[in-house]
This record gives sequence, structure tokens and C-alpha cells, in this order.
Amino acid sequence: MSSRRSYLIRRVLHGFMALFIIATLLFFLFRLGLPDPTAALITEGLTPEERERIRASFGLDRPIWEQYFIYLANIVQGDFGYSFHYRAPVADIIWERLGNTMILMLPAIVLAYGVGAPLGAWLSWRRGSRADTSGIFVGLMFRSAPMFWTGMIAILIFGIGLGWLPTSGMRTLPYEASGFFDKIFTLDFLHHLILPALVVALYYLGSPLLIMRNTMLEVYGEDFIEMARAKGLPERRILYAHAARNALLPVVTQLAVTIGLAAGGQVVVEVVFSWPGLGREILNSVRTSDFPLAQASFLVMAAFVITLNLLVDILYTMLDPRVSFK
Amino acid sequence: MKIFVESRFKRTLLASAMGLAAASLGAQALAQEAVPSIDLMTTTESYDPIRYEAAFMIAERWEELGFEVNVQPTEFSTALERFYDQQDFDATILGWSGRTDRLDPQFFLSTLDSRQANPGGNNPGGYDNPDFDALFDQQSQAFDPDERQRLVMEMQELYKPDAPLVVLFHRDEVVAYNHEAFGGFEPMAGEGLYSEWGPMEATPVGDRSTLRIGGPQEPDNLNPLASTSVWGWKWMRLYYDRLVRLSADVEPLPWAAEEVDQVDDTTVAVTLREGMTFHDGEPLTADDVAFTWNYYLDQDYSYFNSYLAALDNAEAVDEYTVHFHLSEPSASFASISLSQIPILPGHIWSEIDDASTLSPDEVPTVGSGPFQYERFDRGEFMAISKFDDHFHADEIAVDGVEFIIYADMEGVYTGLQTGEIDVTAWRMEPGQISLAESEDHLTVVNVPDFGYFHMTYNLRRAPFDDRAVRRALTMASDRERMVNVLLDGRGEVGSSVIAPVNTFWHEAFIERFDFDMDAARAELEEAGYSWDEDGRLMR
Repeated sequence: MSSRRSYLIRRVLHGFMALFIIATLLFFLFRLGLPDPTAALITEGLTPEERERIRASFGLDRPIWEQYFIYLANIVQGDFGYSFHYRAPVADIIWERLGNTMILMLPAIVLAYGVGAPLGAWLSWRRGSRADTSGIFVGLMFRSAPMFWTGMIAILIFGIGLGWLPTSGMRTLPYEASGFFDKIFTLDFLHHLILPALVVALYYLGSPLLIMRNTMLEVYGEDFIEMARAKGLPERRILYAHAARNALLPVVTQLAVTIGLAAGGQVVVEVVFSWPGLGREILNSVRTSDFPLAQASFLVMAAFVITLNLLVDILYTMLDPRVSFK
Repeated sequence: MKIFVESRFKRTLLASAMGLAAASLGAQALAQEAVPSIDLMTTTESYDPIRYEAAFMIAERWEELGFEVNVQPTEFSTALERFYDQQDFDATILGWSGRTDRLDPQFFLSTLDSRQANPGGNNPGGYDNPDFDALFDQQSQAFDPDERQRLVMEMQELYKPDAPLVVLFHRDEVVAYNHEAFGGFEPMAGEGLYSEWGPMEATPVGDRSTLRIGGPQEPDNLNPLASTSVWGWKWMRLYYDRLVRLSADVEPLPWAAEEVDQVDDTTVAVTLREGMTFHDGEPLTADDVAFTWNYYLDQDYSYFNSYLAALDNAEAVDEYTVHFHLSEPSASFASISLSQIPILPGHIWSEIDDASTLSPDEVPTVGSGPFQYERFDRGEFMAISKFDDHFHADEIAVDGVEFIIYADMEGVYTGLQTGEIDVTAWRMEPGQISLAESEDHLTVVNVPDFGYFHMTYNLRRAPFDDRAVRRALTMASDRERMVNVLLDGRGEVGSSVIAPVNTFWHEAFIERFDFDMDAARAELEEAGYSWDEDGRLMR
């Protein structure tokens, strides 16, 4: 038990160290790599002095080390600063956008893995059959097709052609709700969710499907499967209760990585369906050199990936008793 | 990029080798050198395919003329920085957008004023002509429009033969609306259909009486003392009143002001319309107007500085009269400044010490305009509703306006196609124009623009320090072809920084520099240039 606790503490510390390094990299990367945030104001006719005053109001006139330490100190206190572009607290923007992104990505990922993993198991059982070949083909096809293309085809057929589903945004106008939960617990929202979520799910479907199928095939050769057969267990029970459980580990890893990266959204889907998610916001923040917003968005993404990796490692020990804390 | 570095390296080698040869031979003025090669900076293809292609069209002809040209597609903000702040360029293709306040000649003429040639100024090319500068000062103080017109014409005649830049073209704004839902629009130069008049003119033809506009841009924020984007003001001007509004023909019309009078050289008197109220029911008086202008002076909101440059202070003389005291005579104050500054409710804003630090939900949205603020959900949607107590309310046929924010023009067009929106706020992509024309329910509108795309030479650098070279290069730039091929005919060849559509100020009879390779060669020859056996230009 104590080895477990010290292991966890160590992992959490590592996580924080990684975040610190990432935060530092982000800070310098954006400042060195992106143009001046007031550059775009030139076309609005602002003079150099006026732009200098705006830079000063952003704190950009201070020495870069001073800016860096202020930035670190603020992060430790959970303060992500003020967006240059929106003149609003970065945290408010990110939480709202992150919510919008997750409400799209999570159902899509759950759908992809909920369907993909069992389907992969079933395909492995029917290996070599026509179902197997076509299953692999479909999975690979949607995995390789660019999402903007799948999305545009879906819009063309279900949005414009048949007129069944809305093609953009999260809700129909005009609306009244303003809170996050008022927004998502409506039929109208589900209606808007269908197309983008399906497009994302189809894209993700291939991974759990193929990973599950191939791991299952490996597991079939193991002695304990032979043993189960010898005991005379029904084939279906061997497949789902014995083989599938053991083949699940790589799928779980993949799932965690996918969810972690999902925090950043799928920019392409968010653009094609005009979904107000974090991905679009990140793109904009880089475009407008909105340093505070860009830094914080990437940091949140990194925190997601790190946390989920940690969770997976813990989950492993439950799924497979052979894995222990060392 | 690699090729570019290599050629530059070669050029240096060549130049030093030639320098060496010249020195060792003790050669005299007769020895000719190759003219320095030219880096032509433009936008990336993904940012704007038109400017990108235009650069290659130009480069091809210039090479024919014997120059060595490297086209450098550059990321947009980086290009702005190199052009304006660092002035590190040979020739650059960029543009000025046509904002209504730029219909006054002041701004575009200032881009050739030598006092704007410092880093970060509006004249990165460095054109320096004392006569031009003197005329600039005269016109900016000339109250009489005819006198001012004469001066503005003279300025255009003056700079044009020097060819400090090439005004490439004015690109039409091609927008569309659903004529089965709304009609009555009168397009406005540089503004398209999403002008400040658009929502006031729109008349419902179908069932819905709320006008829906869609666009890929949204306000950065709706703080009238912090927004630094056109998209913020395009929306805010619908719920804030101004003293003067510019008509669709860009004529200043009295709006909240009943009358604008010139008291003396430096005093402008404004008489307010009586009985106006803010959206919260409070009356609008001269105190609010004077407060607003003085507040803008105090708060140091850079975006409006150019409108306030001439203002010392504003004073409420009685309940309905405001006097604006200027520090120097200003021609554009009455036409431009009065039409750009909103009227803020003094009883709300006087409580706010530093307006620029307000967070979005603290920003007051009370105006006195023909519409009142309803909501703004970033990245999704904005709405305003008609203000029934406004003096113009009877002329307005819509209940309100909703603005749907899309991620890109593709989404906007789909919205127009499916009837989700009625009007596009922004120009359509070239591919969408023909699609829209084939749709029965859509009307496509071509609106001429007075903003322009330009190619500016860096006059501090060779070979652009030579007027003859600039003139020759200008004649070798086939702008007719750009308009026909790149804009598909939807635009006009540039002839002056003041666009032809701006009829009152545009000088129509100056040298146009039509495309003519022979004339370009002759110009160079006359100035003492020659060509070596490879056709490379020598001097």
C-alpha cells in the first residue's frame, strides 16, 4: 500500500514538472515565434506611439524575464491573465470553449469506442470472412478520409440535400438559454450534435476496431483460452469474458490518449460545422498573437494529456493484476 | 526559400567580384553594374490567393524587363511588421481597407506624407516631397469643400508622376442576399450590405421580420473604449447614435445633431435633436454629448485618436447645444469625427474611471441608437432589437437584427443557401459567386470599393531610389490582366490612392501608367540603363 502511495506521489510530481517545462516553452515559443500582437492594428491606422501604449497596457513593454516570472506566479495562483483580443479573463473563455468542445468530443469518442471495440472483437472471431474484410475496409476508410471532406459530404447530404439536420452551430436561433446546462439539455442541441459527432465518431472508429481485433487474435493463441475451450465453455463466453478482457489494455491506452487530445478539439470539425469550440479559439489566438489565451489553451491541453496518462496507469492495475506499482 | 538565399548569396559574390574587378582596373564611370535584384513581398497563398498570384504576374514582367525578382510569400502579420515597423522590404504588396471614414481624402493622402515615413508610420515607402506635405496641411485646414477639392486634386497630380507606389486595383465587394426573405437594400461603397443603413432599410418580404446576417468575423469585444476592430464598431454603431451619419452616397446627414454650424475657425457648434432618450429611458442632452467627447479625450482610446486629434474640449452650452473647441482648423472634423464618435450615456459612464479594463459582462451596452443591445455570445450569435422610441423608428421595417457567427465563408454560404441567414456580412469567395448566381432565391450584388491593394516601393533602397526605375516598373505591371484574370472582372484598375468611386475627390485625368513594356524600356534607356548579353539590366 505504501509503495502505491509513493508511486502516485512521484507520478503527480512528474506531472507538475512536465507542466512547468511546457508552460516555459509555451511562453518563449509564442513570444519569439509570433508577430507583435499590435501589428494588425497598423491597418486600422494607429500610430507607433499609440501602439506602444497598447503594448504597455498588455505589459509587453517590461523586460521579458519580468513578464515570465509574473506569468509563472499567476499560473500558480490559477490566474491565466487577460486576453489581449477579447479584453476578458482567459479562464472564462477557455472553460466555456472547453465545455463546448468536450460536449461534442466525448459523445463522439464514447460512440466510437463503444461500437468500435466490440465490433473489433467480433471481427476477430470471424477473421478472414467477408464481414472481417469489409469491417477493416470501412474502419480504415473513415480513418484515412480527411474529416473536412467527410463533414462536407455529410452537410451536403443531410443538411442541404435532405434538410434533416442543421449544419452549423450548437442551437437554433433565436434562443434564450445562457447557462451551459440549459444549453445542452435540449432536443435542439442534440439535433445540432448529430452530424458533427457522427463525423468525429466515424473518424475515431478505426482505432479501437483494429486494435481490438488484432490484440484479440494474439490472445486467442494463449494457453488460458485453450484451457477455457477444454473446460467446454461456450465460444461466446470465451470471446467476451476471457479474451476480450485481456485484449482491452491497448484499447484503454488509446482511449485515454484520444480523450486527452480531444481537449484541443478537432479544429477541422469545429470549422466545418461552425462549432464554437476550443480548437477554433486556439487557432484564432495564434492568428491574433493573443499570447495569454494561446499559452493557457495549450497548457490546458497538456494538463489533460498528462492527467489522463496518469489515470490510465492506475486503471491498468485494475484491469490487469500483473501490472504493479514499482 | 532556399533558392532565394542562394541567389542572394550569388548576388553578393557577384557584386563583390565586380567591385574587386572595378577597383583593380581603376575603372571609371563607364563600367556598368547589374541593377540589384528585387525581393517582392506578398501574402501567402492561403491568406489571399489574389495578392499571391498578382506578385508572380508582376515578377514575370519585371524579369522580362531585365530585373532579377524573388517573390517572397510572407505570413500576414509578419509582412505587416516587416513593412511598417522594420521597413525591411524592397517592394511589398499589401492593402488598405475602405472604411467609411476613409472616404474623406485625409487618411489615404497621409500615406504619402513624409512625416509618416518613420518606422511604424503609414508611409513605409518613404515618399518625401515637401510640396506634397505643404499641400496636405493646407487641405486639412480648408473648410470650403471646393477649395479643398482643388488642393486634393493638385496633390494627386503631384505625387502620381513620381510613382512612389502602384495602386494595383480596387476589388469589388461581392455579397448576396435572399430576396425571398428581405429586400430594400441599398449597397454602400466599401461596406456592402452590412452597412449602418442596411438593417434600417431592409424590408421583410417573407414570414420572418428579424433580419439575419451571417459572417466569419466577430467583434473582438463590445467595449466602446477598448474594441480595436472594424467588426466591433460595425455592430456597436447600430445601437449607439452619432451626431452625424454618412448617407449611402457618403454625404454627412444630420442625425442626433439637428444642425452643425461653424462658429469660427476653431469652434464647431452642434444643436441636438430634442426629445431623444437612451435605451434605459434617461433623456439624452448636450451634457451627455460633451461628456462623451471629453471622456474619449481623457481615456486615451487609441482607436479614435485620429478623430480627436484636432479637439481641445467639448462644452455643453445649454440643454441642446454643444460647442467643440478645436486646437487648429480641421476640415475633416465636421464630416468624419462627428460621424464616428458614438454618444455614450453620461449617467452610466461617469461612474467608470478606467473603461479599458472592464470585463465583458461589466461593459455597459446602453446607447440611444435605432436598435438596442440584446446579447452577444462569443463565437455563436449576436442580437439587437428595434428601439421603438427612436426618432427614426417609423422608418425601420424589421423587428431586430440577429448576427450568426460562422467559422469561415464556407459556413456562411451554406447558411445563405439553406435560408438560415438572409445577408452575408463579408465578401464571398470567388467560387461561391457563380454558385450564388445560379440560385433562384439569391441576389448577388457587386459593390465597388474605395480601399485598394497597392505595391509600395522602398524609396530608400536601390533601384527604387531612381524615379525612372519606379516609373518603368509601374508601366510593366499589368493591372488590367490582374483585374480580368484574378478578380474575374469584378474590380477596377487602380489609378490613384483616392478611388474613382470617390468621385468628388478622385482626380480622373492624371497619368495612368497603362501597361506598356516598350514604354517601360524606353524610360529605362533614357535614364541611362542598358542590358547585357543575357538581357540583364545594367547601369
